[in-house]
Amino acid sequence: MTIVVLAKQVPDPEALVEVRSGGKELEIEQKFATNLFDEFAIEEALRIREKHGGKVTVITLGGPKATELLRTALAMGADDVLFLEDPAFLEGDGYATALTLSKAVARQGADLVLCGRQAIDDDRGEVGPMVAEFLGLPHVGAVLKLDIGDGTAVAERAVEGGREVVEVTLPAVITAAKGLNEPRVPQVMGVMKAMRAQIPRVSPADLGLAPSDIGKAGSKLKIERYFTRQKRAAVKLIEGTPEEQAAEAIRILAEVERVI
Amino acid sequence: MKKLLVFVETKGDEPRKATLELLSETRRLSEAGSFAVTAVGLGKISERAIEKVLGYADSFVRITDALLDHYTPEGYSEALAAYARQEDVLLILGAATQTARDFLPRTAVLLEAGIASDVTAIGWADDPMTFVRPMYGGRVPAQCTFAGYPAVVSVRPNSYAVAPARERRGEYAEVAGCVSPDRIKTRVLRVEVESKGKVDLMEADSIVTGGRGMKGAENFALLEELAAGLGGAVGATRSVVDAKWRDQDDQVGKSGKTVSPKLYIAAGLSGAIHHVMGMDTSGVILAINKDPNAIIFNYANYGIVGDVMEIVPAMTAELKKRTGR
Repeated sequence: MTIVVLAKQVPDPEALVEVRSGGKELEIEQKFATNLFDEFAIEEALRIREKHGGKVTVITLGGPKATELLRTALAMGADDVLFLEDPAFLEGDGYATALTLSKAVARQGADLVLCGRQAIDDDRGEVGPMVAEFLGLPHVGAVLKLDIGDGTAVAERAVEGGREVVEVTLPAVITAAKGLNEPRVPQVMGVMKAMRAQIPRVSPADLGLAPSDIGKAGSKLKIERYFTRQKRAAVKLIEGTPEEQAAEAIRILAEVERVI
Repeated sequence: MKKLLVFVETKGDEPRKATLELLSETRRLSEAGSFAVTAVGLGKISERAIEKVLGYADSFVRITDALLDHYTPEGYSEALAAYARQEDVLLILGAATQTARDFLPRTAVLLEAGIASDVTAIGWADDPMTFVRPMYGGRVPAQCTFAGYPAVVSVRPNSYAVAPARERRGEYAEVAGCVSPDRIKTRVLRVEVESKGKVDLMEADSIVTGGRGMKGAENFALLEELAAGLGGAVGATRSVVDAKWRDQDDQVGKSGKTVSPKLYIAAGLSGAIHHVMGMDTSGVILAINKDPNAIIFNYANYGIVGDVMEIVPAMTAELKKRTGR
């Protein structure tokens, strides 16, 4: 089974993000991590390989530091990695990014494509389904449990108000939700090996893409400006005995805020 | 006049609340003469839901196709894209539910269109039209525009208020779908429905979320009672889900659901950044924690320093007194 995982390096959830230049750009603290949901995707790929055999290739698109993600993936046990590294690839919307990644998947060939359900920086959740559509493949989104069979997979996903169990023919794209698995921690030997690994890179030309079709230039959704969220006014503490506090809280919510 | 398509999602035989929110906003625009609004339903839709939607939209088109009777991302995306193409629309809109966020990106690819997901505000009269979407877990709202049209937009539940239903004003029509059977490669084997009638977390007007301060799964009954009185839903923090006190589906936060209710009550939770990212765009936030230094108080409008086990039942009792519920 040939498995491709699409993973993204994102600012650490705790990293400071500040709006600069009157909303034209963001200044982001240089602390990075593999997107949480993509870690589940990598882990699931490794488990499938351990059970069914095959090969796991992890692909990322990002800035120079994204090699850290690929080395972590190798340390966890990925067989191969591929780095889409070129300034032209960067700052794309969901469409441009998914177009690029779909070309990389097609070049690689895959029986199964795994990725996280959403990246925690852009919060778009578009790339998995879009890659599937570009490749003409089915997808199952936000998967909590996955069983690979012969030419098919059975996936359990959360839907509004319940769970749905879906059978999908392979090849397919699966997006991972929290609950799918517990990602492993890389072992020392794996880390040592990953540090020495060569990271193969591909350019837009390698994927048959013109710089005007990808990244910021190829985006159909443009970010015009960022806002600073208005902070809530300082908290108003409600004092008194528990009964008084409870009564006052309900009074405020009903009469002042009118939300109940 | 420029046309807006609104995807209608149903729950049982009713349109979803989040769909009605969006239809309320688009009805306002239609009445102002800004846009023509067509609601689109896919597959089976009850008479009741159709009647209700017709009180909001200029027209309601139901695309009939046996392949649309059960949701598949392949089928829904193709049916909606084909209809949008035929009608020459400006925007394809849908409430940003799990379902719509699952298939609308595919619709965008089929139309070679841009997509803005989980939008919280739209500048309809701006030139070009603007769309605000929260990034970095709601910490940074970004204003976006499309380089071209048509475009696809999903709107976060609770971004608009539901306006009262009116007399039927729209026309109803059925259009035969033309979903290619070869395209459908997913098949639903079974659906496990949780307790029926439960309010969906993402659409709830009020949410009561418990953290580790609830001390055990059994104490969530206190939150269920308060939520029932409010007509809302119960959420949980990551540590509560990891401890298996609550189901994964209840988790609010970065690795769970992003919610934006009118009222958010944070009970016995500290306010870890992962959690705040999933609820920071809520309307009014009330935090209850015995630790006066809990970080959650920095994100709340109102705070009660006290024991959740005492405060929550007292609030439920007070609410009953007030509403008679």
